[in-house]
Amino acid sequence: MGYHIVVCIKAVMVQAPVQSSNRSADSLAFNPFDWPALETALRIKEDRGGTVTALSMGPECSAFVLHEARAMGVDRTVLLSDPALAGSDTLATSTALAGALTGLNPFDLVLFGARTSDSDTGQVGPQTAVQMNLPLVTWVNKITWKEEGLLVERRADGFVEEFEVVPPAAFTVDPRAVEARDLDLAGIQRAFEQGHIERWSLADIGLSPKEVGLAGSPTVVISWKRAKRKRTCRFMAGNAEEQVETLLKELTASGAMRE
Amino acid sequence: MVMMDCLLSDKHRTARRSVRAFCQRELAPIAKEIDQEARFPWEVVEKMGSLGFFGIQVPRELGGAGMDSLSYVIVVEEISRVSASLGLCVTVHNSVAVFPILAFGTEEQKQRWIPPLARGEKIGAFCLTEANAGSDAAGIEATARLEGDHYTVNANKLWVTNGGVADICLVFLRTNPDAGHKGISVIAAERGTPGFIVGELEDMCGMRANPVCSIRLNDCRVPAGNLIGREGMGLRIGLAGLDTGRIGIAAQALGIAQAALEEAVKYAKERHQFGVPLASHQSIQNMIADMAVQVDAARLMVYRAALLRDQNRPFTQEAAMAKLFASEAAGVVTDLAVQIHGGYGYSKSYPVERYYRDARVTRIYEGTSEIHRMVIARAVLQG
Repeated sequence: MGYHIVVCIKAVMVQAPVQSSNRSADSLAFNPFDWPALETALRIKEDRGGTVTALSMGPECSAFVLHEARAMGVDRTVLLSDPALAGSDTLATSTALAGALTGLNPFDLVLFGARTSDSDTGQVGPQTAVQMNLPLVTWVNKITWKEEGLLVERRADGFVEEFEVVPPAAFTVDPRAVEARDLDLAGIQRAFEQGHIERWSLADIGLSPKEVGLAGSPTVVISWKRAKRKRTCRFMAGNAEEQVETLLKELTASGAMRE
Repeated sequence: MVMMDCLLSDKHRTARRSVRAFCQRELAPIAKEIDQEARFPWEVVEKMGSLGFFGIQVPRELGGAGMDSLSYVIVVEEISRVSASLGLCVTVHNSVAVFPILAFGTEEQKQRWIPPLARGEKIGAFCLTEANAGSDAAGIEATARLEGDHYTVNANKLWVTNGGVADICLVFLRTNPDAGHKGISVIAAERGTPGFIVGELEDMCGMRANPVCSIRLNDCRVPAGNLIGREGMGLRIGLAGLDTGRIGIAAQALGIAQAALEEAVKYAKERHQFGVPLASHQSIQNMIADMAVQVDAARLMVYRAALLRDQNRPFTQEAAMAKLFASEAAGVVTDLAVQIHGGYGYSKSYPVERYYRDARVTRIYEGTSEIHRMVIARAVLQG
């Protein structure tokens, strides 16, 4: 029997908010780091059967990420949405996601993007795994099937680590692991025409408002402003070849390029 | 970009985002090269086909995406924002090749031609213009003579968009030489039929990645079953296709104008003169404001025409107004984008010179600005 894989996805803010962080359909986008997680799940389903569920937490205007996931090929979509969730920090978000995952049990894998492009903490996947008491591997690059369980490869800092994991387990997926498929127009049309999104409130997952949102968040953002980046312009010396050589050395040294 | 919260649904936003991402990744890196080399990029066109760009409004049971007109204009706008030549290919294929077959073709014709056209495995074209016919479609001299189970077709068609790669051409010709405009019919001619001759590619000012060429049919024997609709219906079919086509060309002009506005804004912020960015100078701000207003108004008109069509309401006049306004807006906006770039804008170092060249023809094809003014004035005067 194939796996049931749950992929947690997020609608992220496209630009840093100027004053408040009011979300609207035009200020949100699919978190780009979630695409490889979704693609990984869909490839497992295509290879070995099973079902894929996409789970997202956010206000109603973030439902489009679930339609997009449906257009890519997921079977079930759940939006966890409740006014009491507003202001959740990463821990409260993990509490809420863990509550929803309990409602989606039984599952074999829970996949997360490695991080989000708007807050960039990379904490939600690991924290949710801890709350669910699931084994966790971060930055998974490759999954191989063994007779019992999975062989999972993780790449970090120039090392390749291998883990044997027996599901159920949680992984965050390396953004370089796979390239996500494009959405085709027929898939988009079908997803919006026929795709049903289940809406779950806090009551549906058995949590109280005290456990999530601002009330359940040990951390609070106290100020928010745009960072000013200082730009400098510097001219390289020497002929064109020497300039390229210097540039390559500096970019490599700064970590922007690999040798 | 000023988005239109009030007009677009999540579906339309998703379509825009996904098409934009695809075009940025696949088309943007080659947009300059395919223009310079006048090359039709099959490698990208095949991918566009697999994503449904060639059957946007074709029902899903015939292999299309089954989307609405608003989705269609958004897709054309986004492709044209990156490469107007490819936007042209997609809009002409969808509106004046696929649509007439869907609207007027027999069930057998739809089953035979639409699925490969919708998947982009076959490319469609529309052959109307001749040496002595264009804006005056009734001047068509091409002929088709019914002989048993086939027509013998003789035609010399000019400026055929997609002509160099087209597999199925809708050819406007006379089946009755004595019946004036009532003697005009449309026949689908397929590449590979003996007597079907594709001319040399035209060396165009803009839209250079689109293989525009002449198509000649010399005693070409086309099965009688390839007649679209009935004999004498040619002008009706042509006008119906052009109504839809106008929205597509308007969307194409809008995409070009949007790209020019974005480039101009970027450049005005980067380039410093007199110690401050160009954008700090009031004369440049005035240009940017005028450009933004033109683009926004064009977008509202194009989307309105598409929405009317989606609501099955009359849209001929609104489509004509959208096409006239958007194409002229593209002219104004690309011209100002070149002006803001100064000497650089006139060089091939920046893409605005391509937008400027590409924009020019949108006032000419799919009905000139002058014909559109005539159509609009007639409708307004008739009240």
